[in-house]
Amino acid sequence: MKQGAALALKLSPLAVPLGAVFFTGILMAVMQSLGLLLPPPAGAPGPAGGSTGAGAGPLGAYRALFAGAWFLQDLGFSLYCAFTSAVLSVAAGTMLAYLVWRSPRRFQQVAILSKIPLILPHIAVAFIVLMLFGATGYLSSVARALGIIGSSSDFPRILYGGGAGIILAYIYKETPFTMLLVTAVLKRFDFRRVDTALMLGAGRLTVFFRVVCPHLVPVLHTTFIILFLYSFGAFDIPFMLGESRPAMLSVQVYDLYFRRDLANRPQAMAILVLMFLFSILFIFLYTRMSERLDIAGRRV
Amino acid sequence: MKILLVILLFTGLFVLPLAVLVFYTVAPGWTYPQLLPPAVSGRSLEFLARRRTEVLVSLASSFTYSALTVACTLGICLLPASVFARHEFRGRRFLESLALAPALVPAITFSVGIHFLFIKVGLADRLAGVVLVLTVYSYPYMLRALVAGFLAFGPEHDLCARNLGAGPLRRVIRVELPLLLPAVAAGGTVVFLVSFSEYFLVFLIGGGAVPSYTGYLFPFLNSSDRSVASLLTMVFLAVPVLLFLCVDLLVAAAYRRRGMLEGRG
Repeated sequence: MKQGAALALKLSPLAVPLGAVFFTGILMAVMQSLGLLLPPPAGAPGPAGGSTGAGAGPLGAYRALFAGAWFLQDLGFSLYCAFTSAVLSVAAGTMLAYLVWRSPRRFQQVAILSKIPLILPHIAVAFIVLMLFGATGYLSSVARALGIIGSSSDFPRILYGGGAGIILAYIYKETPFTMLLVTAVLKRFDFRRVDTALMLGAGRLTVFFRVVCPHLVPVLHTTFIILFLYSFGAFDIPFMLGESRPAMLSVQVYDLYFRRDLANRPQAMAILVLMFLFSILFIFLYTRMSERLDIAGRRV
Repeated sequence: MKILLVILLFTGLFVLPLAVLVFYTVAPGWTYPQLLPPAVSGRSLEFLARRRTEVLVSLASSFTYSALTVACTLGICLLPASVFARHEFRGRRFLESLALAPALVPAITFSVGIHFLFIKVGLADRLAGVVLVLTVYSYPYMLRALVAGFLAFGPEHDLCARNLGAGPLRRVIRVELPLLLPAVAAGGTVVFLVSFSEYFLVFLIGGGAVPSYTGYLFPFLNSSDRSVASLLTMVFLAVPVLLFLCVDLLVAAAYRRRGMLEGRG
C-alpha cells in the first residue's frame, strides 16, 4: 500500500497538464456546448437574455448542427482530407524508407534531405504548396512554357475545391514523419532475411509484402492513427489554404468562435465535443480492430 | 542506376520545393509565367535588415517559450517516466495511453475551451499561458522518449548509488540524468520543434500579446510579396538547424568528457 502511494506521488506531475488543462478544457467545451458558463453577451447584460440562435433546450446546439447540411458536409470533407493524406503519406513514407534501407550504406545519407519538411512549420509548407500549385504558381509556369496550357486560367484549380491543396501539404509534411518511424523499425530488421528470401527465389515485390511488411504493420497502424487524427483536427494548413465551402471542421470552429457573434459559441463548442468523441472512438475501435487482424494474421 | 534514381527522387521531393524558396528570395521580380528568375537582387535582404528588430524580437520570443516548454515537459515527465518504465501495476497500460492523449486528440478540442478559462484566471495573452498550453500539447513526446531512455538502462545504477548512500536528489542529478542525456536530447528536440513551429495555439492563447515568429511570418505568407515570405521562411529553417547542431555537439562533448573520466578511474 505504501508503495502504491509512492507511485501515485511520482505520477502526480502528470495531473497538471492532463487534469488541470486537457480535461478541464474539454469539460469547458462540453459545458459551453450545453449553453452553460457562457460569458454574458456584451450588448445586453442581465438575465432577460434568453439566448437563441442555438435553439432551445440544453441540446439545442447539437440539434442545430444536425439540422443544417453544412456540418455533415464539413465533417465528410475533414474525414476525406485526413484519410487520403494519411493513407498516401504512410504509403509514400514506407516506400521511401524501404528504398533507402535497401541502398548501400554510404548512399543512405540522402535520407537526411527528408528532414527538411519535418523542420518547416505547417504554415510554411502550405505556402510552398501555394507557390508550386497555385494558378500562377511554378507548375503553372512550367505547363505554360511547355505549351500545355495557354494562360493561368487553364491551369487546373488544384487549390480551391476538393481539398487537393490541403492533402498535398499534409503529404509533404507527413511522408518524412512516416519515414522516421518506419526507418527506426527497419534498423532492427535483419537484412539476411531479405537475402534468404531472394536466394529462395522470391521476387522483389514478394520480399517486400511477405517478408518485410508483416514486421512493419504495427508501426504503420500507429503512424496512420497519429497522422489521421492530426490532419482531421489541425488548423494551420487549412487556414492558410482556406477553403470556405466545404471547410475543415477546425476552420469552421474558428469562424464560429471568433468571427461571428456570441450566440454561435455553443455550436462551435458542440463541434469540438463531437470531434473529441470521434477521436477517442476512432483510437479505441482502430486499435481493437488492428489487434484482431493481427491475431487472425498470426493464426494463418 | 537505382541509387541515382533514389537520390533524384529525394532531391525532387524534398529539395526542389525549397529551391523555389531560395530562388524567390534572391529574385524578388520573379513572377508568373517566367521559368527562371530574371534578375538577382538583394531587395528582400534589405527588407530583412530594415526590419531586423521586429524579426529578432519575434525569434527571441519564440525561442524563449519553446525552451521554457522543453524545461517544463522535462520537469513534468521525469518521475512519471521512471514509474512507467520501472514498475508494473494494474492500470499501467491504461494510464500510459491516457497520458499520451493530448498528442493524439486534436489540440483544438481542448485549447478553445481552456482559452476561456485562461482569460478568467489571467493566463491568456501571457507568456506563462503560452508555455502551459504548449507543454500540455507536447509533453507526450518527452514522456515517450524518457520511458524509452529509462528502459535502455536497468535500475542497477540507481540501486548501486543508493547502496553507496546517495540521496534521491543526488541520484537523479548525478546518476539518472547523465544516463538519460540522449533521451532528453531526443525528446527535447521534438518538443522544441513542435513548440517553435506551432501557429494556432500561440496565436489563440498568446493573442498577439506574446510575439512569435510564426505569428510574424503568417501575414507575409498570405501577402503577394513572395520574395520576403520566402526569405523569412528560410530564416525559420536556420534556427532549429543551428540548435540541433549545438545539441549534437554538446551531447557528444558530454560523452567524451565522461569517457575520459571513466578512463581515469
